[in-house]
Amino acid sequence: MKFASSPLLSQRLPAWRARLLLLGFLAAFAGLAGWSLYLQGFNSGFLQEKGALRYSRVLELSATRGRIMDRNGNVLAVSTPVKSIWAIPEDARLQPAQANALAALLEMDVRELQHKLASDRDFVFVKRQIPPDVADKVAALNLPGIHDQREYRRYYPAAEMSAHMLGFTGADDIGQEGVELALEKTLAGKAGSRRVIKDRRGQVIEDVESIRAPQDGKDVLLALDDKIQYLAYASLRQTIADSHAKAGGIVVLDAKSGEVLALVNLPTYNPNNRVKLSGAQLRNRALTDTFEPGSTMKPFTAALALDKGKYLVDTPIQTAPGWLTIGNATIHDSEAHGVLTVAQVIQKSSNIGAAKMALSFKPEEMWTMLDSLGFGSPLKLGFPGEVGGRLRPYKNWRPIEQATMAYGNGISVTLMQLARAYLVFARNGDLLPLSLTRLDSPPLAGKPIFTEQTAHEVRAMLEMVVMPGGTAPKAKVAGYRVAGKTGTAHKVEGGIYVNHYVASFVGFAPASDPRLVIAVMIDEPSGGSYYGGDVAAPVFSRVMAGSLRALGVEQDAPPMQAAVAVAPAKESM
Amino acid sequence: MMRPASPAAPQELDAWLIWPALALLLFGLVMVYSASIATAEGSRFTGSQSAYFLIRHGVFLSIGLIVGAMAFQIPLRVWQQAAPWLFVASFALLLVVLVPHVGRSVNGAQRWLPLGPVSLQPSELTKLFVVLYAADYTTRKIADMDSFRRAFVPMAVVMLLVGGLLLKEPDFGAFVVIVCIAIGILFLGGINARLFSALVVVLLVGFVILIWVSPYRRERIFGFMDPWQDAYGRGYQLSHALIAFGRGEWLGVGLGASVEKLFYLPEAHTDFLLAVIAEELGFFGVVTVIALFALIVQRSFVIGRQALTLDRLYAGLVAQGIGIWIGVQAFINMGVNMGLLPTKGLTLPLMSFGGSGIVANCVALAILARVDYENRLLLRGLRL
Repeated sequence: MKFASSPLLSQRLPAWRARLLLLGFLAAFAGLAGWSLYLQGFNSGFLQEKGALRYSRVLELSATRGRIMDRNGNVLAVSTPVKSIWAIPEDARLQPAQANALAALLEMDVRELQHKLASDRDFVFVKRQIPPDVADKVAALNLPGIHDQREYRRYYPAAEMSAHMLGFTGADDIGQEGVELALEKTLAGKAGSRRVIKDRRGQVIEDVESIRAPQDGKDVLLALDDKIQYLAYASLRQTIADSHAKAGGIVVLDAKSGEVLALVNLPTYNPNNRVKLSGAQLRNRALTDTFEPGSTMKPFTAALALDKGKYLVDTPIQTAPGWLTIGNATIHDSEAHGVLTVAQVIQKSSNIGAAKMALSFKPEEMWTMLDSLGFGSPLKLGFPGEVGGRLRPYKNWRPIEQATMAYGNGISVTLMQLARAYLVFARNGDLLPLSLTRLDSPPLAGKPIFTEQTAHEVRAMLEMVVMPGGTAPKAKVAGYRVAGKTGTAHKVEGGIYVNHYVASFVGFAPASDPRLVIAVMIDEPSGGSYYGGDVAAPVFSRVMAGSLRALGVEQDAPPMQAAVAVAPAKESM
Repeated sequence: MMRPASPAAPQELDAWLIWPALALLLFGLVMVYSASIATAEGSRFTGSQSAYFLIRHGVFLSIGLIVGAMAFQIPLRVWQQAAPWLFVASFALLLVVLVPHVGRSVNGAQRWLPLGPVSLQPSELTKLFVVLYAADYTTRKIADMDSFRRAFVPMAVVMLLVGGLLLKEPDFGAFVVIVCIAIGILFLGGINARLFSALVVVLLVGFVILIWVSPYRRERIFGFMDPWQDAYGRGYQLSHALIAFGRGEWLGVGLGASVEKLFYLPEAHTDFLLAVIAEELGFFGVVTVIALFALIVQRSFVIGRQALTLDRLYAGLVAQGIGIWIGVQAFINMGVNMGLLPTKGLTLPLMSFGGSGIVANCVALAILARVDYENRLLLRGLRL
């Protein structure tokens, strides 16, 4: 109260100062309200857009990839739900005990885990594709910044057995090899999407709208027959082990429909565990590797000769003295056969006989025949790395080339091409396209290549190959008439022939009404014989026998008679 | 000497002050809960209790109301006598908080003194004590208000000392607030107008030169003007605050429905509480808050003016000083939230989470109510 009497007071504290200050405050508050009005009433569109950039996300709704099944519905590839653990490194400040617990659950090195969490990115995968129960245990740890998401992992019950046929998918569930790639469009689902708002830790907090519903991929019913595939795999593996071969392949086709019933390559791999894969394991040899087929080409030469009417089945061909000089090159038979009929040329596998027939064709005729059989161009089944093999244009063929091509030198093919070409003999001279998937109604007739009569005549010759005196008695199958042809060819390395061999056998049965075509290729057999009739033919026989029985194909041969002791013929190379 | 039970004593308080203040306190409690619920639930620090901040804020609020009720009992005369000592005490606390291992540091700012289960923030008390002290100082020097040397220099020296300690923490926001309080009270206390204008000009020029010579500082200070330029770096916090405003539109997305508070907006329950209000309750909510603060500031000036006309110089300056404090801090906080001012760690008075702040605010309002109460006593011809 001592200032009440102060004369200065009223003079010193003029009311205008307080009023001015208060006015200033009110103006400032009004300014804030005005700015808020601008932000919320007029600029809100812009700000909301910026906000959407931060936390509105289009969420993928993963679609399940279709299953792959064999022709009888046995599952060969299926997508199983798994989880992937991911982190926001900024949030994932784990104490050592927590990091250890997480690393232990994920079976990873704790230093590797720390390294990942030290990343300056917003999002890192800690570990992908772990079993859901492990992910649940991780979630139970309730660690900051550690999240999981649902994914699918492809599982292949048959593992190594069908690896090359099925191929596999990548981590992003897209087919990378085999059927997975060839039929990607059918198998792949169409991921759906919805727009959501996520909090900064990645949790969905609001479902804004559904943009697209996910569409699951379609199941695929392959032409493949699980039992035949297994037979092929087991037999080939045995043979490769026994003959110390480098690699091998086998293809089984349905002669009635062109369906691929089995496809095996060795070495193979386990598609469920693809760490440390080598290129050799991955190679789908039956489609990507070409080899000089050798004698397995001779039946086509003979067929063209018959078709053109220049030769008959019993037309004699002089093959003595066992060699033939064309230009400045000489070709050989493995032994001097003397005069052979066309049928005997096939049965004994005479190079000279085949060459002589070939030299009677115009180059264009022979090229057209080989081309229409599918040689020289890829089959286009949809597998990666399919090749067409070598078939040079006929315009600059020299006679020696034409002659050697007649017995499968100077031309290269894939095993699948070779097997398919044999359909013409297993059928009535017509060629079908191949099918990886099961056909409900097989095509009635394919593209005619040879006349029906020619096809039947060659088929009869091929039956002789398997009989005593032919090159491949080991290809015979009890209860069935079998037709086929051996091939043994030097490998070409760096443009020159080397002393490594490719042994092959292509054949079909039952010869009276062929049902299956099987082609076998053994690469570099080194445990004793390297002849197709010794190495490849037994595989053919085992697989053919088992397959025909599995399919319940009626027998067409009289009960096996006592083997007649006739030395098998050696084929020429 | 005061007898509240005296039959003649007024029973009512200033409704225009008390109700807006209570409204802001309770509104603040609700919004602190809403803004903190996700952070509290998702943090190990809080033991994942969603009500962690709600409970604490509620306790602080109760303490604030009790301490406020006690402060209301204390006559202004006592406050004036105590003012220099309180000021010295706050100076001492500001020194203590800077002692390593005594003061607690959070995010690089050493502002807290741990006291058992809670911690004390001396800078919040300092704001209140600066009001009490500056009013006392001005009252004492009222005859010398024309003198630069006698009126201005001692105050400037004292403020620079306290301000230096605040900047050392650092707490730039508190520094700005106490400078505003001190200048404001000197201005109201009748400091020479030319001297004051010169002072303001010198301050402005100094400020401009300070930022002009350092491009780095210029960028730091003006970076807030375009938060989208570096929206994920320096502009991160502000850009999220602005997005919250934009999302709120007129009536907001609804109480509890803020997205920004879900870990996007740091400090949602403290410095950026208004952004959450803006998002959840829209322009309507923001204007309500602004209006309530305007009302409190206006009442403090009215109450102060009334005290001055009753020749109660100290009480009048304290009342208006409290108005300046609440007004300046609320304005800066809201301006920061809306991107009009550079980001400085200042809470929204009466509303933001924070123990010392809430208690200091409650005591300040109690003193303001006390000034009003004493005015009413005098107007009824009663003695204090």
